[in-house]
Amino acid sequence: MSHDHGLPPKSSVSRWFLTTNHKDIGVLYLITALFFLVFGGTLALLFRLELISSGADLLGSMGYNQAVSTHGLLMVFWFISPFAFGFANYVVPLQIGADDLAFPRLNALSYWLYLFSGILMGVSFFQGTTFAGGWTMYAPLNTPAYIPGEGLGATSVVLALIMFTAAVTLGSVNFLTTMYRMRAEGLRMRDIPIFSLSINLTVWMMLFAFAALLAALMILASDHILGTTYFQYSIDGTTMATDADNPGASLLWAHLFWFFGHPEVYIVFFPALGVMAECFQTFTGRRLVGRKWFIISMVLVALQSFVVWMHHMFLTGINLPIKTIFMATTIGISLPFDLMVFSLIYTMAKGRVRFTTPFLFSLGALILFIIGGITGVFLGAIVLDYQFRGTYWVVAHFHYVMVAGATALFGGLYYWYPKITGKMYNERLGKIQFGVYFLGFNLLYFPMFIAWETPRRVFVYPDGLQIWHTMATVGGFILGASFLIMFYNLFVSLWRGEDVGPNPWEYATSAEWAVSSPPPLENFPGVPSYATGKLEFLDDETVVERTERAPGAAAHGHAATDGGTATDGGAVTARAATTATAMESAHEVSGEEHANHASFWPFLVSLGGFITFLGLSGVRTGSVFYLTMAAAGGVATIGSLVGMTREPFHAPEMAIAERWPFERVEKMKLGMWTFLASDIVLFGAFIGSYAFVRVAYGWTAWHHDLIPAEHVTMPGLINTYLLLTSSFLVVLAMVAAERESKRGTVAALAGTFALGVGFLINKGLEWNHLFHISTETFPSGWNLSTNIASSTFYLTTGLHGAHVTIGLIICAYMTVRAWNGAYQGDDRAIEYFGLYWHFVDIVWLFLFPLFYIL
Amino acid sequence: MDWKGYTAIYVVLFTFATAQAVVEFAGLVDSAYWAAFALIMVLSVVKAVGVAAYYQHLRWEPRAVTYLVLGGTVAALALTGAAAYSIL
Repeated sequence: MSHDHGLPPKSSVSRWFLTTNHKDIGVLYLITALFFLVFGGTLALLFRLELISSGADLLGSMGYNQAVSTHGLLMVFWFISPFAFGFANYVVPLQIGADDLAFPRLNALSYWLYLFSGILMGVSFFQGTTFAGGWTMYAPLNTPAYIPGEGLGATSVVLALIMFTAAVTLGSVNFLTTMYRMRAEGLRMRDIPIFSLSINLTVWMMLFAFAALLAALMILASDHILGTTYFQYSIDGTTMATDADNPGASLLWAHLFWFFGHPEVYIVFFPALGVMAECFQTFTGRRLVGRKWFIISMVLVALQSFVVWMHHMFLTGINLPIKTIFMATTIGISLPFDLMVFSLIYTMAKGRVRFTTPFLFSLGALILFIIGGITGVFLGAIVLDYQFRGTYWVVAHFHYVMVAGATALFGGLYYWYPKITGKMYNERLGKIQFGVYFLGFNLLYFPMFIAWETPRRVFVYPDGLQIWHTMATVGGFILGASFLIMFYNLFVSLWRGEDVGPNPWEYATSAEWAVSSPPPLENFPGVPSYATGKLEFLDDETVVERTERAPGAAAHGHAATDGGTATDGGAVTARAATTATAMESAHEVSGEEHANHASFWPFLVSLGGFITFLGLSGVRTGSVFYLTMAAAGGVATIGSLVGMTREPFHAPEMAIAERWPFERVEKMKLGMWTFLASDIVLFGAFIGSYAFVRVAYGWTAWHHDLIPAEHVTMPGLINTYLLLTSSFLVVLAMVAAERESKRGTVAALAGTFALGVGFLINKGLEWNHLFHISTETFPSGWNLSTNIASSTFYLTTGLHGAHVTIGLIICAYMTVRAWNGAYQGDDRAIEYFGLYWHFVDIVWLFLFPLFYIL
Repeated sequence: MDWKGYTAIYVVLFTFATAQAVVEFAGLVDSAYWAAFALIMVLSVVKAVGVAAYYQHLRWEPRAVTYLVLGGTVAALALTGAAAYSIL
């Protein structure tokens, strides 16, 4: 048992429920993502059959709308990115010289949340109808008032996306912490293999972009479940009222969605670019030409991706100056891509090409991306976009970009298949699949450029375009058939494929090819190091010796639990900790001692979350079934989280590692800061939404028209005092813990808890008062649905209140532990909690003036 | 930082919060809205920077952590600012 980190063998089903190992989870991601490819692909084939002739005579109008909408959602969210992150999970730790991700259990939790979010998406089909308003979910068609029937399936889709986004956020925090704290000695950021670098930039974009999406989805879920009115217009007869109290509703969704949505294009495409670069290097035997400029271009694109989103909104009512600015930024973002494309082409020209299956898919992806990129530039020009927006030109363009990305990832599947399985696939079948795939792809998507006048998302089109649609449908089936070849090839090769050694590819140089195929559980036969300029594996003695010689290398390498709080140690000197960590790591390497890395809790937490969300989807109907499910799921989730927190789980930091630029920031602390950076965007998007709808309404008129006189400053001021004082007490708890004053630590933490509870009670009293006022303007009280001002007030301060509640649960747990003697002489756990609590305090420092004074 | 330093920061934060409310109680929000707006928001920013720098110890962390926080802040401000400007 000890040599397997407490995990059952791979042949056991329980292994796959218990595993926290990055390679196992990578495989789980790959298989699950391929399932969603088939799911989304089948839906696409259904509506392609529908489009053989104009009209909805096969699926019916709602069936067609559901198929189109969920196809987009499944492919964008549940297939492409998770497929890429299957490789990222498997390959990145190997490429950077780490034995796993920084927080293995969190990684497992990400996967299970992803899987259950997909199941919730599937369940939505059985709740009447699923979401049918297009994958962009534009307002107001995304709100219950505009959804036919009860709309419970649509609510489930929104909740499934929230669950998916939670998985992505945890994954982003985990990957960033890993890549900045666990690189092999001597491996600078600029030197890490290009695939890992592409993942690094991808997770940076994910960290911020998905936080904005999470805000949009939480607000939308609130509109669905709580009855807020962010995305709804008032109706004046059969038309939207021009004097509605929320004129910014529709544009707000577009801003939030596309602030996420455009970086999402690169979030999808960057890993594919990384795969292409790896394959081009390996199969041309040539280092990437202009590697430095390739990397700089990727960094530029990652930054620019956040300032181009309004080119998706040229046809909305935004003003001309902002359109012009965003046209310029959009054209600008194509320039770094030009450089990357030329780099790949020149690498090919300078090297000696071997046309293996992974290379063919990579080359195919490049060709398709060039077509997709050029046709996209048309859409970046305002005047052309007026004509092309909402047509099949857009559909063809983004499939040439997004599915080009998927094409490269299929190349990646062939490329790393021997590493993952230890078997070689059938090369001939691989090439045949590529041929069929490439033919099917172009027959499917290219006619859409010709039939570009077909309106997007509509099943009716002019008769003259039928031939092109028929060709596209035939192409779709050919493309689908190519996957049967791939699945057959990869499945049969598991048994019949030739055994491969560590490196089946000549000229592949990254670290994953230096170990056996598949790699052992602990990845490397020693601690990886590039200190001498080439990859070496250090033995136990060398690690300890080197660590003692340069204790700073591991002075911050204290062991920490994975789940939110650091282990409580006694007073240890930095040197002793350094040596202890080095020994621990060395033992891990030699296999003398292995911590148990099996955990069932990530699965249970996610299952609980799934039941909760499914219950929440029907709460607004008042159904006892749904209410019970929401309550039971909530209890199961919280119980599982407590179980996960109490479970001993040991994931020590590496004894020696390259950690620029976070050398002095322990991994728990870095993880917390990274999470908080994402939370800043979440709250920023909530506050930004408030500012946007208030500007749309009229900033100064807002207060007079929409807010009752009973909404006064004093409750907010009292809560400001309470939170500031509680923050002060947290730092005093740290001081007391440092001084080993148990009484002081307990008193300060208990005081923090009491003040937090006071904050919530005060807020509860204030809300209750406002709910029940009866004035001339607000005769039925001022509740969540009264107007847009009340919606923004309750939801934004409610989100903050939820953060306070989570903080209080952690604070209560820590108070009990402090009472039992924890934290004395080691205040790190209190510091990490404090980072969160002070952040909650900072948010309130802005909510107070915005919602109580101004 | 010792408890005296933390206490001094707390006193400043408490005073600034009170000052924000005083701006409203004094009627400045009604008589000179945008001046009051600027004053109150500046006070909030100063308080937030104080909490981050001293209670969250950003002052003593590597600059990279500050850049990480600024990254999130700039993204949120870009979204808010550009979106609001787009409908002016």
